[in-house]
Amino acid sequence: MHPISRNPTRLFYQPVIGFLALAAFALLGYALWLCLHNIYLMGTKGTQFVGLQNFVRLATDWRGLQALWRTALFVALATSAEVVLGIAIALFLDKEFRGKKLVRAVILVPMIMTPVIAGLTWRFLFNAQSGMINYWLSTVGIAPVDWLGNPNVALYAVLVADIWQWTPFVVLLAMATLETIPKDLVEAARMDGASEIRVIWHVILPMLRRTLAVAALIRAIDSVKAFDLFYIMTKGGPALSTETQNLYGYTVAFTNFDISYAMTIALFLTIVTNIALLLLNRFAMPKGVR
Amino acid sequence: MSQTRSVSTGISAVMAAALVAVTAWTGGAAAQDKPFAGQRLSVLMVGHPTTDAVRKALPDFTAATGIEVDLEVVPEADSVPKMMLEFSAGSGRYDVVEASSIHIKGFVGADYIVPLDDFATKYAAFYDKADFVPSYLTPNIVDDKLYGLPLFGESSFLMYRKDLFEQYGIAVPKTFDDIEAAARTVKEKSNGEIVGITMRGQQGIQGVYIWASYLWGMGGSFLTDDGKSALDTPEAAKALDTFARVLRDYGPVGVANMGWEENRLLFQQGKAAMTLDATVNGAFNEDPSVSTVVGKVGYAPVPVQTANAKGGSSSLAVFNLNVAKASQQQEAAWLFVSWATSKQQQIHSLDTDPNSGVTSLAAMDSEAFNKRYGTFKEAMLASLANGNPQYIPTVPQANELVNNTGIAVSKVLAGTASAADALKEANELNNAALTR
Repeated sequence: MHPISRNPTRLFYQPVIGFLALAAFALLGYALWLCLHNIYLMGTKGTQFVGLQNFVRLATDWRGLQALWRTALFVALATSAEVVLGIAIALFLDKEFRGKKLVRAVILVPMIMTPVIAGLTWRFLFNAQSGMINYWLSTVGIAPVDWLGNPNVALYAVLVADIWQWTPFVVLLAMATLETIPKDLVEAARMDGASEIRVIWHVILPMLRRTLAVAALIRAIDSVKAFDLFYIMTKGGPALSTETQNLYGYTVAFTNFDISYAMTIALFLTIVTNIALLLLNRFAMPKGVR
Repeated sequence: MSQTRSVSTGISAVMAAALVAVTAWTGGAAAQDKPFAGQRLSVLMVGHPTTDAVRKALPDFTAATGIEVDLEVVPEADSVPKMMLEFSAGSGRYDVVEASSIHIKGFVGADYIVPLDDFATKYAAFYDKADFVPSYLTPNIVDDKLYGLPLFGESSFLMYRKDLFEQYGIAVPKTFDDIEAAARTVKEKSNGEIVGITMRGQQGIQGVYIWASYLWGMGGSFLTDDGKSALDTPEAAKALDTFARVLRDYGPVGVANMGWEENRLLFQQGKAAMTLDATVNGAFNEDPSVSTVVGKVGYAPVPVQTANAKGGSSSLAVFNLNVAKASQQQEAAWLFVSWATSKQQQIHSLDTDPNSGVTSLAAMDSEAFNKRYGTFKEAMLASLANGNPQYIPTVPQANELVNNTGIAVSKVLAGTASAADALKEANELNNAALTR
């Protein structure tokens, strides 16, 4: 039999895959080339091949390592908080009530909002002098908190904004899955006398597991790349307390114009992220999602 | 082959004839007046009242020269990365860019912008060198060549509440110790209701821009005479200690994340007795539609602590228009640069926008300027006269030095490091950057 008649669809997808692969490898090759040179836009010395010098510099760069740790912390906290809150809200909304559609629409608002607007809004809310949050605290007699100006608090303030913006994403996925769960299964469990908590734990959550694993994976990838909220709310300050690896790479590239080193940071972050996500995929994902 | 040549010669002859005919028909003189009519310039500028005024007047420029202008306006922080990417690629995407004078040496060193002297002699219709505030023009001159013209400029000064100072019996501060004492008095006598002094403390250029007043005023500097970092000196440590202490003890809550806007608003709302910031803030303080302290603000030069300062303690920030090396239309670009900075356009800008940062002497002497900004004009001119062109370093690595220094300032302000330690670290990083 002629190969084309065996699978004619390959003519449609093979060129596309080939082109995407080519683009990916070309970019990766260029990125590697950048990492092995010393491209510095403000320099007058020209470009030289420097071997692994940029990687050695990164391995001993205290600021970069701290930024990496901060990124890991932020990803872990943001992802877990968003998934837990997301399930809780989805379960809470998984009932028939008047205005359900409206509530669902309202819940999506933070996610749809441009991160710059969200960042500015939270920046004003967290403003120590005239922000709403400190005003509300003052009405119950709590002294003003320096949300974005205290290095011990600022990262968590940005975290709150991130959770507010992205929990709806988890809610959305969880709600969609909840609607596909056969109602009779849940009813049967209740008929057998299972308490509501047992129903959720033993019947509903196992069915949500795949969805939640995918949601967590997507949120983790997005949190590694989080940039806009940090840039708008704190610009990495105070005292570097909110500088993630991504933001550090941006500063090196677009403040210092040290393009090669910035690319090294970005490439390193990509590699670390890939390894972490592969591990997550290997150990946290239920079989069948993989 | 020969046939091809004869055909092309024929075409050239026809074109030449047509050109002569067209020139004769339009009268020749018009072509002389508008040698670049029909060219289209791409211009990158920074969001600012001056830029708004230029945009509104663009039809005048097109009417006078026949040159069309595509104006792209972005926030200051984004403008430099944007132009750097185009410059380094040699793309010619922008014919004219607006940049702070701290970048000029870097641009010249990397061969990104062109000298304008030849254009200035050839096309001087809008250009009047003597009309520029001299200290604004100087940063544009590198190795005796003119690389740009100043579009707007500003200095910094101390703003204080005359009413509160009178009420509490405080004299206008002349040293940084005076500032601290005044801030303490305000805080104590107002029972903490009014913040003693507010300044920008955000990590990065915001905090560094203000702290530099303390650095110079205490006798320190960013760089030594031979171009090394000079931040590990006792003067610099004292400057940072004093700056951080006055803000921590008598400044507003949240100061470590306050930029220009937050700081300006706090003072405009009457919640602080003093602030040290750019002269443009005067225009906001005196604008009744946004300020509750109109007429209550006094303006004084930035304090100095020592008689042996290495440079003035007030800033001199100038934004200039430069012509890109990769531009294919450098003459037309020069015409735009000289028109946008001409005295006619600057005087006109006072009627259309709150443009207190004019660089033209004639505009500063105009009635409109005196009417609007008379209350702080003298203090502003005094600050300008002492304005320090090296206030923020102008070496090619300036951005990186500011970034490193900003981290030190932020750490001390947030209380996570001592001034001496933080500055020692910044000093090492700056020296590494300077040898790159």
